Amino acid sequence: MSASTTSLTLKGHDILFPPLPYDMHARADLATGDDQLQRFINNATLSKDLQRREVCAQTFGDNYDAMRSLAAEIKQHTLDHLDHYLEQFVDAATGTGAHVHFAATAQQANEICVGIAKREKLTQCVKSKSMVTEEMRLVPALVKVGVEVVETDLGEFIIQIDDDAPSHIVAPMIHKDRTAVARAFERELGSPYTENPQELTQIARNHLREKYRTADLGICGANFLVARTGSAVICTNEGNGRLCTSVPRVQVAIVGIEKLVPDMNHLAVLLKLLARSSLGQPITVYNHIMTGPKRKHELDGPEQMHIILVDNGRTEILREETREMLRCIRCGACLNACPVYRKLGGHAYGAVYSGPIGALITPMFKGLDKYPDLPHASSLCGACYEACPVKINIPKYLIQLRAQMVRRRITKWPDRLFYGLWGMSLRHPATYRFGGWVQKQMFRAKARAAGTAGRGDRYTDRGWLSKAPGPLAGWTRARDLPTPPSNSFRYWWKMRS
Amino acid sequence: MTEHGEQREVFLGRVRAALGHTQTIVPDEPPAVDEALVRLATHDDDLITMFCDRAASVGMHVDRITADELVDQIVAKLVELDAKWIVVGFDSLDQADALNNAIEAADIQIVNWLAGGATMDVQFDTDVGVTDVHAALAETGSLICNVDAKHSRGLSLIPPVHIAIVGARQILPDMLDYFATQHDATGIALPSSQAIISGPSKTADIEGQLVTGVHGPGKVFVYVVEDV
Repeated sequence: MSASTTSLTLKGHDILFPPLPYDMHARADLATGDDQLQRFINNATLSKDLQRREVCAQTFGDNYDAMRSLAAEIKQHTLDHLDHYLEQFVDAATGTGAHVHFAATAQQANEICVGIAKREKLTQCVKSKSMVTEEMRLVPALVKVGVEVVETDLGEFIIQIDDDAPSHIVAPMIHKDRTAVARAFERELGSPYTENPQELTQIARNHLREKYRTADLGICGANFLVARTGSAVICTNEGNGRLCTSVPRVQVAIVGIEKLVPDMNHLAVLLKLLARSSLGQPITVYNHIMTGPKRKHELDGPEQMHIILVDNGRTEILREETREMLRCIRCGACLNACPVYRKLGGHAYGAVYSGPIGALITPMFKGLDKYPDLPHASSLCGACYEACPVKINIPKYLIQLRAQMVRRRITKWPDRLFYGLWGMSLRHPATYRFGGWVQKQMFRAKARAAGTAGRGDRYTDRGWLSKAPGPLAGWTRARDLPTPPSNSFRYWWKMRS
Repeated sequence: MTEHGEQREVFLGRVRAALGHTQTIVPDEPPAVDEALVRLATHDDDLITMFCDRAASVGMHVDRITADELVDQIVAKLVELDAKWIVVGFDSLDQADALNNAIEAADIQIVNWLAGGATMDVQFDTDVGVTDVHAALAETGSLICNVDAKHSRGLSLIPPVHIAIVGARQILPDMLDYFATQHDATGIALPSSQAIISGPSKTADIEGQLVTGVHGPGKVFVYVVEDV
């Protein structure tokens, strides 16, 4: 079995951690042949993308572009001075009574979290959605030391009990249908079979409310950290984020260092863009701004608040050439806008982050040689750049990654040879003419051999190829390639004068 | 306190190295927030109407009432909801005592959480949470519910129904205005928990179909007291 087909048999979160180097073709083929997946993802992403554009146009009008520029400027400024803002944040958060921890790697972050659970003898954890904890594979690390961990975001909960993996930053179960949910609930929760989303949601609610009630550990991520006040901010529609951070005795927020903003007014700018970009709604239902644990005179709330700041490869990307990539606020707008994501879904990217931003940051996090397909999983149409609320120029960086692949000889030699020759032939008129002539003769010869030449009208008598050689093979998989015409454009141009 | 993680200086050192700094450089002012772009409502707007419209459009049930009507309206709603056991946190209201009395007169039991009776655990069994708010936003039709000595984290979150009482004067135009009130209070710690609430709890995770009441309250009733 090849490495690429091995990835098809993976279950659960292993789907996002396939054997490396990762070859995306097997999963891409599977996804494009799956009618239901095509329909679901196509409908969901198209409607979200449309809603984003409508709501942003309606809210910001002609200022939409300037608003995105401001958001980009705020995030870029914070990253440019991340040392300062981190120090400011750590001091402020410590001042509110929170414990701040520093994790260089995913493993260290897991160790810190497991350490807290062990020391405080915590056994039941409710967890809200967090991308960085997916990077870390936190859940199995906690389960290993005897902590029961329940994902509480409805989509993540369904994925957890059905042994699947999230496929979209914001809508993790975008690839699943209601019958899968119905079967999983019947099997795992013993509930009566129903396909009604309202009833399914009610079943999950009843199950999860008991979990919140008895949990002693609440784990969350953060959409933003505010440097001046030491606050962590989480945005959810369901309310699970607030419950996870309000009921359990100990709260742990696990956050990547790129989430900082300087102050509350900057937070306002980003909050105004986040939900509009993400879901086409003005604001998420619950924006929870948390500044330290429960105070002495307060009657409820977590007794301890821990904040684990995670690097895990981010300082590599923080270098000037690639810093812009860290502006990302994980809104998912680029996924919804992307014609490639729309056809492949998230699992084809073989990593925690999918879509255009995933194609960009996964090779940065894990190594370009480990994910050689991802920089090519884009048509470079620019829809992602246009949708991005913080104006990350994703196409530009994807091209840079492709150039790096050639320079570092990660691109395979037949491709390098082909494109090398092509490049040479384009460089001078004589080689261009010669190259065109060779191509015409070769294609005509092949067409004659295949018997497609020499009959029909003036468009078809020059013949066609049903199967083109080399990198053109993909093009002819679904259509024929006509051989070059007898008179070239250069010939016409000459005749014109 | 570090468990197994890195020391702060080692961690920051890597950040500084990536930035090309030998020591932390304190930047000039962060980018100015251009209100012409960011502000979506001003004091010139009809804030009550804007708040009511937008709160309704995100799925909250909104009523405009006068202070005289408040007690009757809330009790009528609780009776309509068939509430038996509720938690309340509306200490800042002038009518707090009258409202408490009227609720109990209607045979609805109030769990006194201020006296320690309504731990979070108990709140899971209650029918309704009735609260005042710390502020409201016209821009998005949002309620702001903060935590302090007299406000639980749970009341606007745990019971299946939330009834919120908003004084008209509490309605601020824009999120910027709310955050500005915190900006002035430098040196005074922010509340440990601030929730900006815009609608009932909702999800569209199953095939994109909107369902309300997934974890938080499925119904939110807002009473805007126009003469307060």
